[in-house]
Amino acid sequence: MIAELQKLVQALWIANIAVAVILFVLVISRRNYRAFPAFTLYLLTNTTLSIWVFLTYKHRGFTSPFSWWLGWSMQVVAIGARALAVGELCKHLLARYRGIWNLAWRILLASAAILLIYSWVATKYLWTLALVRAQRDLELAIAAVIVGVFVFMRHYGIEARAADRFMGVGYCLYSCFKVVNNTILERYLDQYVMLWNFLEMLAFLGSLLLWSWALRKRLPEESNDMELLPEGVYSALTPEINGRLESLNESLKRLW
Amino acid sequence: MYFDVFLALTGLLLLLLIWSLRKPRRSAAAQRGMSLPDECGSRHTSYLPQIQQALAVADYDYVSQRGSRELFRRFRKERRRTTLAYLAGLREDFQNLLGLARIIAVLSPEVAALQEFEKLRLTCQFRWRFEWLRLEIWLGHARLVDVSNLANVVSGLSVRMQKAIKELGERAALASKLGSSLDGRGVHPV
Repeated sequence: MIAELQKLVQALWIANIAVAVILFVLVISRRNYRAFPAFTLYLLTNTTLSIWVFLTYKHRGFTSPFSWWLGWSMQVVAIGARALAVGELCKHLLARYRGIWNLAWRILLASAAILLIYSWVATKYLWTLALVRAQRDLELAIAAVIVGVFVFMRHYGIEARAADRFMGVGYCLYSCFKVVNNTILERYLDQYVMLWNFLEMLAFLGSLLLWSWALRKRLPEESNDMELLPEGVYSALTPEINGRLESLNESLKRLW
Repeated sequence: MYFDVFLALTGLLLLLLIWSLRKPRRSAAAQRGMSLPDECGSRHTSYLPQIQQALAVADYDYVSQRGSRELFRRFRKERRRTTLAYLAGLREDFQNLLGLARIIAVLSPEVAALQEFEKLRLTCQFRWRFEWLRLEIWLGHARLVDVSNLANVVSGLSVRMQKAIKELGERAALASKLGSSLDGRGVHPV
């Protein structure tokens, strides 16, 4: 059973690398690297490292210490690159709305930091599981940031381009899946490792397909020049609106 | 326990993702094609005098004393239906205004976190109390004066907003942007 699963993992690994290479070619040929430079870098880094790790596993086996360290180092680099790509996507979605963006990035960063701190403090510390947990916590923070951006957009009635939505869903689903997977792995470590690899690759394949769909066409150039309101309008109107809302609530309260 | 916490957090994130990606429902005002700034958030509140007349206490007393039991029952049912329909209209006005307030935030170069949180808190409070009032009316406990108070506050806000929009000058492009953004589909990126 384990041997069969190992073969399946290897086949899936090759499939992932192939799809990632196709996606990379797609990004270059459609010139979408201009719109998503950090994503392109993430894709390149991830694919290169995947090939390298795959070859190492093939020659040294899954259980050798070198393979283990290489595998985890790759994860660190890949998560770092993905965090950059997610930041780029958030900027894509909100940066043109300067006021909202200035508010959003602070809140999102603070939420991610709180989530990370909570995750580290709340769980019992074990050296053997430190990497699994660190990865899970980072993925949770990444997923929270993406969901946070979409919630912001929903709240303010901002509509995202289909490509940006697909990119976001791709990142988020993969991160959520990794959180679930690592949480389960933490509890059932020994009997789950091979299945964990398999499911993780399957989730990544899903994300790759979503990103490929998002970037199948050349994206139009986005202009960041947006006509904004004069500076005093917001500060003049918003306290007024809030004051009215307050009195509205007061009059509703009096009814009870 | 942490096992469950992380799974629950992930589930919550996925639910939020689905909710945030859903297309917002188009409001009745959007379907009718509301224009700015003349009808900005005051379509229903402007009917308050007629509603007050229709729901006058004197009429209620008159029908209850002179009319048959069946007529009184029908009269009461109709009044309740009218009040609820009017309340739904008020909420629509209110939501349009709130939508406008959000668009002002989106198009502003600077946004204050405190004001935005305050707006969010007050909106949640309003929704909760509004639903409560609706329930009370439905059960026959609320009085007409309560509805009038509510309408006056919404209409006051609406008048101030209209004035403010006019204060923005004759920015036709802005007005059309605000108008198109109020159609329930949101602000478009390109």
